[in-house]
Amino acid sequence: MAQRAVWLVSHEPGTPLCGTVRFSRRFPTVEKRAKVFNGTSYVPIPEDGPFLKSLLFELRLLDEDKDFMESRDSCSRINKTSVYGLKVGGEELWPVVAFLKNGIVYACVPLVEQTLSPRPALISISAISQGFELLFGIQDFLYSSQRMDTELNTKLSQLPDLLLQACPFGTVLDANLQNSLDSINFASVTHPQKQPAWKAGTYKGKPQVSISITEKVKSMQYDKQDIADTWQVVGTVTCKCDLEGIMPNVTISLSLPTNGSPLQDILVHPCVTSLDSAILTSSSIDTMDDSAFSGPYKFPFTPPLESFNLCYYTSQVPVPPILGFYQIKEEEAQLKITVNLKLHESVKNNFEFCEAHIPFYNRGPITHVEYKVSFGQLEVFREKSLLIWIIGQKFPKSMEISLSGTITFGAKSHDKQPFDHICIAGTAYLKLHFRILDYTLTGCYADQHSVQVFASGKPKISTHRKLISSDYYIWNSKAPAPVTYGSLLL
Amino acid sequence: MGPLSREAWAQLLGAFRASPSAFMAAPEGEDLGRDLLSDLRSEKLSEPTKVSMLALSLEYPAQLWPDAPAAEAAATSLLDTLVLLPPRPSALRRPLLLAATTALVTGGALGPTSGASLRLLPLLLGLASGGDLGRGFGPASEQRPLQATACECLRELESCQPGLLGGCLGLLRGLLGQEGPVAPVQPLSLLLALALRNTLVIQARAGASLQGLLTVRASPPGGGPWNWTLAQAGEAHLQPQAPSWPAAEEECRLSALEPSPEEARELRAAVAQLLDTSYLLTPVAQAQLLWLLGWALRGLRGQPPVLFKPQLVRLLSTAQLTLLHAVLALKAAFGEALFTAQDEALLLRRLTLAAQHPALPLPAHLFHLHCLLSFPENCPLGPAGEEAAPLLLEPQLCRGLLPHLLLDPMALLARLHLLCLLCAEDEQEEKGQAQSPCHYLQELLAGLQQRAALPGSPRALATLCFRASYLVARCLAGRHAVLTPLTHGLAQLYRARPALAPHFVDLLDRVAPELGELLRVVLRQEVVSRPGGGEALRWHLQMLARVADRDAQSATLAFLQAAAVHCSDWGLQQALLRVCRALLRAGVGGGLADLLQALARQLEDPDGRDHARLYYILLSHLSGPKLGVALGPSLAAPALTSLVAENQGFATALMVQEAPAPIRLSVGTQRAEGPVPVLQLQVEVLEPVYSLELRFRVEGHVYAPLGAVHVPCLCPGRPARPLLLPLQPRRPAPTQLDIRALYTRSTGLTCYTRLPPLPVKFADLFLPFPKPPGGASSGFFEELWDSCLPKGAESRLWCPLGPHGLEALVSRHLEPFVVVAQPPTSYHVAIRLPPDSALLLRLEAAQADGVPVVLRTDDWAVLPLAGDYLRGLSAAG
Repeated sequence: MAQRAVWLVSHEPGTPLCGTVRFSRRFPTVEKRAKVFNGTSYVPIPEDGPFLKSLLFELRLLDEDKDFMESRDSCSRINKTSVYGLKVGGEELWPVVAFLKNGIVYACVPLVEQTLSPRPALISISAISQGFELLFGIQDFLYSSQRMDTELNTKLSQLPDLLLQACPFGTVLDANLQNSLDSINFASVTHPQKQPAWKAGTYKGKPQVSISITEKVKSMQYDKQDIADTWQVVGTVTCKCDLEGIMPNVTISLSLPTNGSPLQDILVHPCVTSLDSAILTSSSIDTMDDSAFSGPYKFPFTPPLESFNLCYYTSQVPVPPILGFYQIKEEEAQLKITVNLKLHESVKNNFEFCEAHIPFYNRGPITHVEYKVSFGQLEVFREKSLLIWIIGQKFPKSMEISLSGTITFGAKSHDKQPFDHICIAGTAYLKLHFRILDYTLTGCYADQHSVQVFASGKPKISTHRKLISSDYYIWNSKAPAPVTYGSLLL
Repeated sequence: MGPLSREAWAQLLGAFRASPSAFMAAPEGEDLGRDLLSDLRSEKLSEPTKVSMLALSLEYPAQLWPDAPAAEAAATSLLDTLVLLPPRPSALRRPLLLAATTALVTGGALGPTSGASLRLLPLLLGLASGGDLGRGFGPASEQRPLQATACECLRELESCQPGLLGGCLGLLRGLLGQEGPVAPVQPLSLLLALALRNTLVIQARAGASLQGLLTVRASPPGGGPWNWTLAQAGEAHLQPQAPSWPAAEEECRLSALEPSPEEARELRAAVAQLLDTSYLLTPVAQAQLLWLLGWALRGLRGQPPVLFKPQLVRLLSTAQLTLLHAVLALKAAFGEALFTAQDEALLLRRLTLAAQHPALPLPAHLFHLHCLLSFPENCPLGPAGEEAAPLLLEPQLCRGLLPHLLLDPMALLARLHLLCLLCAEDEQEEKGQAQSPCHYLQELLAGLQQRAALPGSPRALATLCFRASYLVARCLAGRHAVLTPLTHGLAQLYRARPALAPHFVDLLDRVAPELGELLRVVLRQEVVSRPGGGEALRWHLQMLARVADRDAQSATLAFLQAAAVHCSDWGLQQALLRVCRALLRAGVGGGLADLLQALARQLEDPDGRDHARLYYILLSHLSGPKLGVALGPSLAAPALTSLVAENQGFATALMVQEAPAPIRLSVGTQRAEGPVPVLQLQVEVLEPVYSLELRFRVEGHVYAPLGAVHVPCLCPGRPARPLLLPLQPRRPAPTQLDIRALYTRSTGLTCYTRLPPLPVKFADLFLPFPKPPGGASSGFFEELWDSCLPKGAESRLWCPLGPHGLEALVSRHLEPFVVVAQPPTSYHVAIRLPPDSALLLRLEAAQADGVPVVLRTDDWAVLPLAGDYLRGLSAAG
């Protein structure tokens, strides 16, 4: 259940090595066990240099992509999980858990408590999921609040101390590094009551509870006879509970209006103490009927100190918030495009922003545009071959807007214009970006009065809601478009 | 040398981390371990510097203190440093404890004879139980973190030496159950769970009972010696025999343990105690606890796994990878005893959900999908260890898990695998319904091919397309409804992007049994139906070298002929010749000879011309099978270039190899007839031998040179006709034949060998005189007898006889040559010795013990040979 080593590698394309080891940590006592457990199949942990090279090669992150290389490109080398075997000094180091996120490769080598030949199934190795959790934890810590490089460097420099706390001998004690940081900082005294390990200390101050519901809506719209449009809402409920006492109990209820769409696929935070079986079994896999559980969804929990995601859900709303129509006709060197967008009447017509991004891939730069918009303005990014239609804060009364135009492209040069492997020939999309505050598409809300807090003092309760678009695609209806299996089931 | 400065240490540590092996090999590496230990006590260095020095010792103890005595000394020094710390808050206490533990474990010093171990263990246990350790252990605020650290250290020691804490189970239970000011729950829980698991395993192996270990609360460190009994029993057991997956382990190893009812109750209470407070643990720690307890209780009598039941709903509802994984471990450990069919279905649904939930990251999706396909079912149908869709996973459930083009390549392949498994089960595929998984699969493959076909698209897209094709070909072998469109799609892809030829060759190599033949044919058609020129020629040639065979030779040859004109550079010419070579191997004849001849004239590069000529010569001189061997993969070690390898191949195949003889030759019985003596050779072989040629050389040139003998084929165990070897003596003398054999083995290689020499005896040369007409034998003999002198010689000798007398001797050795016989006492023998000598014997008036022999010959040189012969006869009896 332990890790033999952990690395963070920044991916730097264009540099000689294509990357740098930013952090590494080895666990020699675990290595000692690995030697015994793995027996003759034991492969030692390499030094950082060879590891870096081998890792980037395996993840195809080296710049050399030109020629076919059997050891990398052979069709039989299929990885179906983020677990790799790395060739190091003629031997294969396995299993190496590794994934790339935001330009950093997170990697670790979990201990396998048996021989490695034949390779045991991943599911049977307890340290695999522990390794994933540790890497996710490090990733959350590095990217929880910052974007700047300097902040990243500060956080990276904190990692050795944090890992000494969260994973002193390679066995992960807490994947939440923020909590480990807190526990270093809290000069704790003896506690009269049992303290959860995931809560480093106690809050002192004005009690308050903040609940925010963020829904992301994604959609694939085709406007075709034989392909169904799809859309889905994914909700996240985030809480921050500043309450005194070691184990304050809180119950939050999410409610739906009468015509609201039931919440499904609910995943909760581990601090939730119990769950109604109706919540557990409500799933998007089943076909929905009127008998579907529609709340209220009660979540009793003991909050950790930091802000956390109380639960995630998905939902299938009856209509997409914006229905779109996009058509491209290619005429000689020109494209004629037509776009219609219609906001559904049930949706709150008050956006923080709303834009339609219309990219043109695998073509030259835009040289000339003639267009007409019924509403908003169009911005043209010639070199990027991109149009942005800024719709603004509100749709007009008719709820319908349109754009039509003719676009001429220059000669294609491979380095400058964007390449895309989906938008081949006529296949093209426009992507909607919008945000509506104080609104959810499902109608889901957390009623302040329904929040029960069992702690000293009456807390101030605040709630927030917002709807954000995410992967909201409207495909050119005149050409093939990528479909999911669900779209074929008409 | 005095203590180093802060900067010097920072520099030193940086240099070490950059490459530990290089650093340790350099002179400054030698003293690093010692300097580190001494400078930890330096008052000039700040705590952060010391922490970073300790951090290094936590990672690289084996480099700093490579052997047990050094590790022991280091641990002692670290403990001394710890004790000497002033009683104010310090950041060094935790890392010092960790470092001492690490040094002892990695140096292999932990044990009852190690002084440092005997100091560390009671110290850790004392800290863990929250006892007052007096001076040096800092202010109260540090007690709690130190208590947790001590538990961690003990857990690590127990992990590396199972059974170490077997005697402390009762104590640990007491600490965990303590009311009032309490110890940190998580470290104690994990420590207790591990110690419990290890104790159960060790006791079960030893066939011992729990001996009240769970209830004895006395702590050993009260001055008493540490109990090493269990650890020493367990020491041998930290071996690769504890697979992590409970179900994989031999069933019920723990069943050997038969706890008394009281012990069983205590055990249950201990487990319940751990589970009840498990919500206080972090999710990763909860998962560890569940794995450990699952291990501990599996197969143990009287321990129903229902104890876990209350935890399951809570665990299943979370988004935590580790928790779901731990539930799967429990599922594998206890099966139906813990999970009813409904529970199993729910677990599957949660897993399916987790494999696609938008709130979870991609690596988690993929791992969940892997778990889904390796799901520990209550009633598995398929073979263990193979990925398969569980029975309860209906296609309806998988709908959201099917692949589409917008996915990341890894996710696409993982889901494609699932789709293939569904297609394999789908009965209705032949009907080609629009919504059937098989139909969807075809659309997806077409999409992948289209993307890979895009000019200038990255290689990763092509790789993805070929991996998908490979997966489909392997999973759906024999499903023509899927494979035929796949093949044609691939042919189209080749048409659009011949530059992908290396991928095609790779695919052909990997899926030869499933798809190879079908794909080969369409790809060959695709290549040969094109004009021979253009940029893609090198790819076409590479492709053709893999797919060309006897079929459609004329089209292939026509393509090559057209291509030859465009093969202007060396690389292209070699590629062209590689195709010719493939055709040669495949046994293509006529047209190819013309092409090779043309190439031998027409190619610009001399190397190319040479090769073409060589191939032509091979084609016209070697038989088909031999050609196959000659051009087959080289048996020699891989060479740097293909040309060298090729030449080595020829060398081994076409040169005659010297080999130990699989042939045995012997001389059979003499026939003594005809105009010249003929040797009858008997041949035996140990392996099949073809085209055997035997060459003879006569020692001393006493005979005329002998012609070679040819045998087309010899097989072991099959009787061969004797070989007749006519001898033409120049003078009548015995000699030796020197023999060499040249033959072809069944592998096609030609071999050469030297056989042991064969002796030709004097008697082998004997021939009878032709019978005189009219039967006047006596007169004939006398005439011969008289004619020998005066030119020849006469001799007399006494030939002793054996028990059977003269008659037997004559009939055995001289029968064909007897001219006048008066049995049993008198015989006249006339022997013709080619080329033109005679040997005449009168054996008369035989007595019981011998016979006087008068011997005459017309060639005096024969006389000693004849004497030896006769003496030999009598000796042989």
